Amino acid sequence: MNTESIDFQSFLDWDNSPFILFNNQSKILYLNNSAELLFGYASKKELYDLALAYAPPSFGHKTTTLSLNYDSFTFYAITVGYEDEEQISIRFYNTPRIKPAKPIEKNKLVNTNINLLLEANIALFKTKNTNTLQLLADHDLPSFKIDQNGFSKLLRKTLDAFRSSDSIRITLKLLVGEHVIISGEKKAIVQLAIEANGRYNDTDEEISSLAMQSHISSLLKENTIKLEIPLIQ
Amino acid sequence: MEPFFTSSKQVQNIIKGFNLTKTLFVSSIIIGEANIGKKSLARYLFPDAPLVSGEDQKEVEKLLREVDELIITDFEKLSNQESLNLDNKRIIATANYMGNQQTIDKIFAFIYTLPSLKERPDDTNYIRDMFIKEAESTLMLKENDFSVSDIPINLSDNSKTLKKTIYTYLMKHSMDDKDIQEAIYNYILQNLSGNNEYKEHLGLYEKPLIEAGLKKYGSQLQLSQVLGINRNTLRKKIHEHRID
Repeated sequence: MNTESIDFQSFLDWDNSPFILFNNQSKILYLNNSAELLFGYASKKELYDLALAYAPPSFGHKTTTLSLNYDSFTFYAITVGYEDEEQISIRFYNTPRIKPAKPIEKNKLVNTNINLLLEANIALFKTKNTNTLQLLADHDLPSFKIDQNGFSKLLRKTLDAFRSSDSIRITLKLLVGEHVIISGEKKAIVQLAIEANGRYNDTDEEISSLAMQSHISSLLKENTIKLEIPLIQ
Repeated sequence: MEPFFTSSKQVQNIIKGFNLTKTLFVSSIIIGEANIGKKSLARYLFPDAPLVSGEDQKEVEKLLREVDELIITDFEKLSNQESLNLDNKRIIATANYMGNQQTIDKIFAFIYTLPSLKERPDDTNYIRDMFIKEAESTLMLKENDFSVSDIPINLSDNSKTLKKTIYTYLMKHSMDDKDIQEAIYNYILQNLSGNNEYKEHLGLYEKPLIEAGLKKYGSQLQLSQVLGINRNTLRKKIHEHRID
């Protein structure tokens, strides 16, 4: 089969897995859309070093299974390849998102201004704690469908994890360019991020399970909790 | 709408939280000691919501099927908490204690703790003044008959004991001699029996007489003159009634 006249670039551009091509001076020669997003969370040097570290001993391509984590990106493998001394490529394999067993219950969802729920939960937090909170919320976010009770429980648990933290920063924003597929439909993502100098992790399991019930993906790290909420309208 | 006064930051945050979620369908519970204003707070925030006590389980279940906004008081008295479906309803519950923490955690989105009156001195003063006004009008007293700062504050059972102390204090301080005689009459009627009762009940008169006298005149010498009795007799009586 002769494929030489076919232009594969657009297929690569729109591949959901990040793909980057470096030259031997670590300059980026090509990156696809997904890699562009990845660069929001990882540095060029970091990824170039990764490519060198996992490069095959001689010309060719090598796939290594490993667990990689850059913010909300998680990968289970990378393929590093080079066919000459000039260029080296790295491709990342996305870890599949675990699908909740329960389908989304649309009748439970009510059009809600998420800022209201967030502020009410902050007021609740303040009845129990005196820590200072910094809130940076996008008040232009449109109302969208939320299981108000379930989501409030999740917010309460999430904030509770920061009950004795200092300098808590809460940001609520729309993740530009990122989407999630729910019941076959592409949805925008609203991200709620809470950061502090540290936090409790005793309720992490509960937070994950509550998030999953509401089709929210949760990222629980040492000092941060991020909730990615599908914007269902 | 009845006003709900508070100067406590914590309570103000509870009110703020409720005001923000007023139009949403979330379940909230206010937990705190008895008689600290949980029900009044719920009523103040949701003046039109039907109200039912957790003591009446059948009625709670019935209303949960019929309405989507409900105040449930004494939530701790419900024995079927786990099986209640509070989803997609505006529920405001109040409880004197948490009970099963896991259940509460599971069914309520917002769990507020209302501080007791001991933790809210400014609120306590406000409620005290309110009760005093109420007592003055009920007992038909003139304002200058007493000093507010002399009224003891008993918060062992929060507003209930606070109210009781105010009423008893004001009643005791507004009695005339007829009232006092009547009170003693009733007391003696109930307690008179035995063979040395004259002496036994003399204390009802002598003890307050000597105590008040000592406070007013300071020394036993002066008091014995005012009372017109011998100093030794007075000393003997002080000893008898164990007055310090």
